[in-house]
Amino acid sequence: MSRLAEIAVPRELLTRACAGENAARQALYAALAPATLTLIRRLVGQRALSEDLFQDAMMIFYERLPQFREEAPLGAWLRQIAVSRCLMYLRSPWKRARLCLEPIDSGVTAEVAALVTPGYRAEHIDVERALASLAPTARAVVWMYEVEGYSHQEIAHAFGRSVSFSKSQLARAHARLRTLLEPQEHPPSCTLI
Amino acid sequence: MHPDLDPARDLSRLLRALPGECAAPYGFAEFEQRAHERACRARDSRGGARLAVAVALGACALGLLVRFGGPLPAQPPAAEGAPLALRSAPGPEDEDLPPGAGERWLASLPSEPVIVRVGTRAAVIDLQDRIAQLDDLLGGARVGPAERATLQQERSRLLGTLVQVRYAETLADGPP
Repeated sequence: MSRLAEIAVPRELLTRACAGENAARQALYAALAPATLTLIRRLVGQRALSEDLFQDAMMIFYERLPQFREEAPLGAWLRQIAVSRCLMYLRSPWKRARLCLEPIDSGVTAEVAALVTPGYRAEHIDVERALASLAPTARAVVWMYEVEGYSHQEIAHAFGRSVSFSKSQLARAHARLRTLLEPQEHPPSCTLI
Repeated sequence: MHPDLDPARDLSRLLRALPGECAAPYGFAEFEQRAHERACRARDSRGGARLAVAVALGACALGLLVRFGGPLPAQPPAAEGAPLALRSAPGPEDEDLPPGAGERWLASLPSEPVIVRVGTRAAVIDLQDRIAQLDDLLGGARVGPAERATLQQERSRLLGTLVQVRYAETLADGPP
């Protein structure tokens, strides 16, 4: 299971997809869609919203595919589109407030994912839940910095904010995640009946 | 600090360990169907936006027509001897006037009766012209005796009016 930015596709498949061949477009979708949706879900949290943004991102991807210049793997190019769509959503104060008020379902999703995804371990559920408890902006910043490898400058530029905004968001997110993930002194007791 | 003791590094490792593909998207067929629906919705919303713009422009044009381009209100028959300013002002009884015109007309009325001085020059010239026309007619060879008498009567009336106007001018020019 690879990250979206690392996914590359054969040039021949790309050429066929650019020419509009449906089978090639379908093959590209099969190769890129799961990682794209996973990334978007990690950034925004909610399933319905993620699917909306995923649909947007994939439509833009197919529309702009002839402009792809192969300077980076195709996945990295698609990641740029997906992140840009997510941040466009998160930059709107109205939508961000709505996102904070609505329940986040990443915890439940993590449990379901643990059942259906090979290699998914129990501790991943805790991390997913801790990540889901962060505010949308903080979650996006921590994911972009820690996992996707964006620098503070790049994050600040993407959000249209200062570098210190990115650093402070990351520091607060770290503190919260550490609190949530550190082992409890008094683990909940379990009674066998 | 040793990397293994750095909590941020540990956190980073935990986050990176999360699988990169755990959300199964809908199939390609559904993706294409949703894309088609979105395209249709976008087309409809563009059509709706065009309709809304057309309606707004129509409303603006109608408003401008009512405000500036409407038919001129009919002049109410002014009372004999009424001041000129009041003769030309629209009355509140005009049905074709825009809303609020009645209130504006009432507000424009003076609170107390006002004496308006009007120049007599136009009236004097008009009277003199008419008298000159009558003189021409009276000097013609084909005027019968009955017509001549009528013309003489009219000339006497116009001369009387001219004398009255001149007298009023003399009174107005004199000391109060």
